Order: sequence, then structure tokens, then C-alpha cells
Amino acid sequence: MLCKGITESFGAAIHALNTTKLTDGVISRSKRMMLDTLGVGLIGSRTAVFNKALTYSQSFKSDERSSVWGKSQITLPPPYAAFVNGIAVHSMDFDDTWHPATHPSGAVLPALLALAEMLPSRPSGLDLLLAFNVGIEVQGRLMRFSREAFNIPERFHPPSVVGVMGSAAASAKLLALSPAECIHALAIAASSAGAPLANAATQTKPLHIGNAARRGLEAAQLAQMGLEGNPAILDIPSGFGVYYKDYSPSAMTVPASGDFKWMLEDQDIAFKRIPAHLGMHWVVDAALAARAKLENTARNFDLRQIRRVTLRVPPSKYVDCPLPSTEHQARHSFQFNASSALLDNKVTVSSFSEAQINRPALKELLSKVKVETPKDNQPSFDKMYCEVEIETDQGQSYAARCDTFYGHWRKPLSQEDLVDKFSVNASSVLCSEGVEGLIDVIGNMERVRECSILGSYLRLTSSQQEQCYSLRRL
Amino acid sequence: MISTLQKTIRPVWAVRGLHKSAVEVLKRPDPEDTVTASYGRFISEVKPQHLSSLVLHRSKRMVLDSIGVGLIGSTTDVFELALQHCQHMYAPDDISSVYGRRGSRLSPTLAAFVNGVATHSMDFDDTWHPATHPSGAVLPAVLALSDMMPNSKPSGPDFLLAFNVGIEIQGRLMRFSHEAHNIPKRFHPPSVVGTMGSAAACARLLSLDHSQCSHALAIAASLSGAPMANAATQSKPLHIGNASRLGLEAALLASRGLEASPLVLDAVAGVAGFDAFYEDYVPEPLESPNDGHVFLLEEQDMGFKRFPAHLGMHWVADAAASVHKLLVGLGPGTVSPSQVQDILLRVPKSKYINRPFPESEHEARHSFQFNACSALLDGEVTVQSFTPAALRRPDLLALLSRVHVEHPHDNPANFNSMYGEVQVTLVEGEILKGRCDTFYGHWRNPLTNESLRKKFRNNAGEVLRSEQVEGLIDVVGGLDTLGDCRDLLSQLQ
Repeated sequence: MLCKGITESFGAAIHALNTTKLTDGVISRSKRMMLDTLGVGLIGSRTAVFNKALTYSQSFKSDERSSVWGKSQITLPPPYAAFVNGIAVHSMDFDDTWHPATHPSGAVLPALLALAEMLPSRPSGLDLLLAFNVGIEVQGRLMRFSREAFNIPERFHPPSVVGVMGSAAASAKLLALSPAECIHALAIAASSAGAPLANAATQTKPLHIGNAARRGLEAAQLAQMGLEGNPAILDIPSGFGVYYKDYSPSAMTVPASGDFKWMLEDQDIAFKRIPAHLGMHWVVDAALAARAKLENTARNFDLRQIRRVTLRVPPSKYVDCPLPSTEHQARHSFQFNASSALLDNKVTVSSFSEAQINRPALKELLSKVKVETPKDNQPSFDKMYCEVEIETDQGQSYAARCDTFYGHWRKPLSQEDLVDKFSVNASSVLCSEGVEGLIDVIGNMERVRECSILGSYLRLTSSQQEQCYSLRRL
Repeated sequence: MISTLQKTIRPVWAVRGLHKSAVEVLKRPDPEDTVTASYGRFISEVKPQHLSSLVLHRSKRMVLDSIGVGLIGSTTDVFELALQHCQHMYAPDDISSVYGRRGSRLSPTLAAFVNGVATHSMDFDDTWHPATHPSGAVLPAVLALSDMMPNSKPSGPDFLLAFNVGIEIQGRLMRFSHEAHNIPKRFHPPSVVGTMGSAAACARLLSLDHSQCSHALAIAASLSGAPMANAATQSKPLHIGNASRLGLEAALLASRGLEASPLVLDAVAGVAGFDAFYEDYVPEPLESPNDGHVFLLEEQDMGFKRFPAHLGMHWVADAAASVHKLLVGLGPGTVSPSQVQDILLRVPKSKYINRPFPESEHEARHSFQFNACSALLDGEVTVQSFTPAALRRPDLLALLSRVHVEHPHDNPANFNSMYGEVQVTLVEGEILKGRCDTFYGHWRNPLTNESLRKKFRNNAGEVLRSEQVEGLIDVVGGLDTLGDCRDLLSQLQ
């Protein structure tokens, strides 16, 4: 068995990373990720998939309990809190996306918060920031082990592959496991990785993130109890390599003195403005721009005068859905998002309700949409573009192209817009004290004494007015 | 609605040249015609009367053996760890019983988990062809779910039906690829098909409708798949534990209305479903149970192990045992390393069971070399051959250092076709050979009922009183006529 010491290096690195290695840059970026993740998780706690998972999870008993985001009265065993909160985060496909492609935060933050609430050591805000960044960093490193990971996926849904590993690494960090235990946490987690892409665009997709969070946490706990797996899990092709067609791992080193180069500093993250697959953001921006051109030129324009809409997009089967019938399919449909943008001049949270999906005007527009996949349009979130061309009955043509949508890592959301997105999301569930409290705590995370305070704010739902009053008196 | 559209448009679409979008609607398969839908229908429609007497007989043997290995497995460290984890992270829940631990009960999925871990903890559980360990992924879940059912427990026939559905689905799925026919290299088969089998069995026991049965399978697919690298480690038993637990979870979520891909078993270009786990994949629909369907267990019997190690070890152990007999006949009555100059093993090529110097019991159970040498020394391999003391025996270590391994071209890494040869060269120069094509316990040479019961008594007797042991033999023997499986459920601890 070829053992190049890669897994060993990861175990050592996870153990060695400490709060002094956190830089201003990585702290600032990861706090934005935490805020965004909490917001999408909160609004996600009102979805059908979340409710099903919550009902199921409530059948488990435990002594340790952790908060369920957006619920004032319900707590769950920590692994199941991680599960349902992770599901909430991904339930509307509203969570962050990185390059290479995965949704890193949803797999990590729910696990850490659930764990933090049960640990007698009462981790601080800095502890949380460190563990969170370890979880993100490990995911980023693992994805660089293959070329396959750089493209929009076809086989395994990336959060289910690297997410569980990130959650295990982050949990191992918060639990202060030894280097050997960190290794085994990764090995155990590897046996929980890998969900097929076919379940993307279905109600089960959010469970990929929920399970990544839960099972990574579980892996770390089992490792803490002494369970062992293969200590060369990252080194060998029959280990973590099974999830990739090409696999070339490399070691992770933490300099004893001097700076550690976090991947998050080199490669920023994308935050979504629309609760839909990342690819949709390009097509919506292009569609809105094309529509604006149309409106500027043609007075009294009627959308029914559109003869054809051509979308020029990268090839990706699971987001090519001409006639979606569910919200999940709609979030994964170039055609739907382009048509919604053209019809309503915006795409928002409410664009994906059953009523909106079934509008006859929308379906009519959908029937006029054609998809092309030009050879120069690569299925990579770093390189793709979208073009939307509208042809009218009069023979006029209006086209626009989007290379980088607002929110992409090349054109990041301003802090104001990020906080705004959070506020809108969180306010759908929490009272204003909860919303403000979370913005405040995250903003000052480096100075927070006990990060589990987040749990108290996450439970300040707006239907519980008495809770808001009592907090005010403190 | 769509089918009506198809009927009206089909005759003219070639002429009219419709928009690409509408054409794509036509190209999508009728939802009822998919492989995935056929599986959902089968699971929801199959009934106890569809089980032949041979299938009933064979599956009852599997149930007995599985319980026995689960019971002895409850004495292992990994089981203890798994149990403590569940008890630590969760509270006791008076629902589903834990093998061999009187008074210990857990929430159903957690009981399925620990009992599954127990079943595979010593690699003592059944093995099928194509290769997987089918019972350990299914039985713990079916037992846990039966415990969970509030008012009336399933009848024996319903219990056996659910169990057989779980086995059947696993067998069918493995036949979708050539890759599955050989000793695995990438994903550990129980983690791939086991979860699906458990989901199918539980969906059957919960009497889900055909659509829910399909979704149970699809949800389970997202919970499948663990890499081979963790075989031969302490984590391997968790593959079976998790298969059982997560399959049950998938069925429970499906019963609450969770939906997943309706095409998970079908092969869709560019979007992998269950085929994500295989390099080659050609799915086939499952016919209705009323259309002359024959259960795979009828045609392909199960292999039961005589000692707790990977199936491949049984060939070399039997071959080495025959050489041991020759040696003992020649000399002082015991075998000593001083007699042996060289040991040659001719075995199939498979990295994860080729271990010259295993360092743990898990590695030892996955080592051609270790098992051959143990059998050479002792005449047999038993449960005791893997204790810490046995692993470190100087005589054994001496023999291990004299072993060479060859992989003849005619020895494929396939449990249906492989053989094991042991060739011992003595210091005086004489060469003794042993060969095994079919070990006793293999499906071609099945354990007699007597041998199976003996194995069960040895295993179950480690944790249960003899009345309980005999009681289980009786109740499992009569399972297909049992009105209420409560009698089975109450005797496992």
C-alpha cells in the first residue's frame, strides 16, 4: 500500500492550526459566510423538506440537546440538530458556492454550532472561527486533488463528497482531537461520503448537506471514542480516491512559525441573490439585461410578442430542465430562471412557489425557449458565461451576455447587500432582536466569549414576543 | 397529461419540426416505464405467497446464521464502541433491542446500526455471489422496525417477506454491472447495495405504496457508498451497520413523503444515479411478482463462513488444513515451523486481502498469509485464531516469514471461480500440496443444517443461555408459520 503520508499530514495540520494562524482576511471572509449561512438556514426552516426531516428527527431521544434554527421550543440530539439545520441551509439552494464547486458552509457550520452547545469546554467565538475555517480549508484542499472537481459535477454531488470531510475536520478541531484521532475522523467520514448527482434537483438534495454535517460530526465523535479507520485514507485510490476518476493527493503543511496560507484568502466565495443553482445567476443577469434592451427600444412591448428565446449556456444535464414541475427542478433549470426573469423582471424567493411555477404565461414562455451549448462555454463556475437572445415576432433580436454575475467571487456582494440579504431571510422567522443580535455577534465574533450565544438568538422567533421582551430586560 | 400529448404529437412531430423544448418532453421516458418505477412496484406488490419453499428454507438459514454472528459480535470492541456512542449521544429508548444486551434498547435506526456492526464485526457473516454480505444489512433493520411497530407485530411470513425483498433487491442491483461480479476494488459492496436492500425491506414491511418504495430506494442511494480502503480496519463493520440504519431511515423518510429522483436506478447520461458507484452499468427492470418472477436466492444459494474471516480465506484455510493433515501424519503429531522451509500460496490477485504481516485482528481476517499459516499450524481456523495472543504466536510469525504469494492467471478474483493452493516445501526437500476449489460452506458445498446449527450454538452460546439458544433455533425454524414475530424479537438479548 503506497503511503505518502498525506493523510498523516492532514491529521497533523488540523491539530496544529490554532487561532494565531487566523488572518484578518480569512476572518472577514468567513464571517460573511457564517452570516449568510445562518440567514439561508433560517428562511429554510420554513420549507417542506425541513419539516419532514424535523418530524423524523424528533423521534430520537437524548440527554444532550442542541438548537434547531428558527424554532424556539424544539431541540434535538446534536447530530440531528446538525442534520436538520444543514438541510435548512441547502433547502432552497440559497447557500454559498465556492470554486472548485461545492457548498462548503452548510456542511460545516450546523455541525459546529450543534457541537458547541453540548461541549463542557464552552468554545469561544475565536474557537468557532478557527474550527469553521479548518472545515472550509480541508474541503478546498480535497477538491484540488482532482481535475474532475473543477467542473460542474456529473457523478457525485460535491457537498456529499468533500462536505462530510470538512465537517469531520471542523468537528475534530473543535473537539481538540489528537493528530491520530483527526486522521481517523477523516477516515471514518470517508465511509460516509458520496451521494449521486441524480438526487440534485429533487427534495432529497438538501439532505446531502444535512447528512454531510451530521455524519462528519459523528465521525469525529467516533474517532474521539477510539474508532479507527484506514490511516492512509487520502493517500490511496481505494480510499477517498474512489469518488474521482483522476486523483492526485498532496500533503497539507502548517508552518510552525510564520503565516498559514488559507485557501479562502486566495479564492473568495460566491453568495447567491437567488435561491437557485449558481448557474442560474448568469442566465438571470443576462435575461434581465436583454429584457432591458428590449424595453428601451420597443415601447408598449408585450411579452407575447416573443417568438423565441435562445439561451447559450455550458453543457450540464442536471440544470437543463425545459419544463420543471417542482420547486426543486425549477431551481435547477436554465429555462425556468430565464423565463421568470423575462416575465417578472426579477427572480426572487417567491418565484419558485407552486403557483408561480404553474403560471400559464410562464409555461407559454418556456415553450419558446431553446438551449444551445456553445463549444467555448465551459462547465466551470470560474469560466462559464450565459447569453440570452430574445427574438420577437417582428424579427427584432435583443441579446445580452453575462460573464460574471453580481455575487460571484469576481464581483462580490457588498457588505451592505450581504447584510441586507441576511436581514430579509432572518426576518421571515426571527423577531428583530434575533436578527440584530445575530448580525452583532457575527460581526464581533473574534471577541465573543461563548459562541453558543448564537443558539439563543437563533431561537428568537417572531411568534414568541415574550422572548423578545425578556431578552430586552437583560 | 404527458402521455396524451405524446399520442397527439408523435405522428406529426417529424413533419412539423417542433421547438427543441417540446421534443425533449417527448424524449423523456414515461414515468411508469422506468427501471426505478418497476422496482417500486415490485416491492409494493410482492406478497408472502410469492416465496417458494426453497427460498423460505434458505432465507431462514440466513436469518439464523445472521442472528448468531450478531450475538457473538456483541462481544467485540467495535460493537461496544458503537453502542456507547449511541448511548452517549442519545438516550435509551425503549423500542428496539440490542443483540445480546439484556435490557438494552435503542431508537430503531440506532439499534439497526449497532446490531449491523455486531453482525459484521468479526467478518463472520454470510457472503453471496455477486459478492456482498446481504443479511447483515437487512436483518437488523427489519428486526428494529418490527420492534417499532406499535400494536401488532408483523407475522412470520411478513417478516420473512421483508427480509427476502431486502436480499432480492441487493442481488438484482449487483447484476447491473460486470464490476460487481469480481472481488471489489473501489466501493465496499455492502455499503452500495446493502443500504438499498435495507430500504427495500423496510419499505416492504411498512407497506409503502409503489411511489414511496421508489423514493425510499432513491433516498437510500444518497446514503450509499463507502471506499474499500476501510475494509480490513475497525471501521468496516460500520459499513454494514450504516447500511442497515440508513436504509431504514430512507424508508422512514419516504413514508413521511420525502421525495427523491424518480430515475435513480436508470442510467441518465450526464447525471449519475445509482450508476455513480459502477464503471459499467446496465439496469434492467424488475418484473411483477405475479409474472413468473423467481427470487435470485432460488437460483444462487448463500455462502456461510465456518470461521470469522474474509471469504477468500476459507479456500486457503481448507487447502492448508489438508497439508496440515499430511504433515501430522508424517511427524510427531504437531506441526512445527522447524519442519518448514517455504510456503507458497497460489491465490487470486486482490490487494486488500494480501497482507504478509497483519498487525491487527481486522487485518488478520483479511490476510491470505495469516489464515494459511494458522490452518497449517492448527489444522483449522477458528474464532480463537484471531485473539491478540494468537496473532503474536512465535510459531505463526515464523511461518509467516516463509510465505510467498503467486497470482496464477487462471485464478480470477471472483468468489464463484477462484481456488486456493498451498504448497509447503519441507526442510528435507519434500513438497506437500493442498488445493481447495470449493470450501465447505461455499454455495456449491453448503453447510448442512446440522453444521449451521452447531455454528449458531457456538456463537449464540457466548451471550445467551442455552434455553434461549434452543428457543431461537426453534422460532426461526418455524418462522414461516409464525403468527406474530414477537417470539423472535423477545429472545435476542
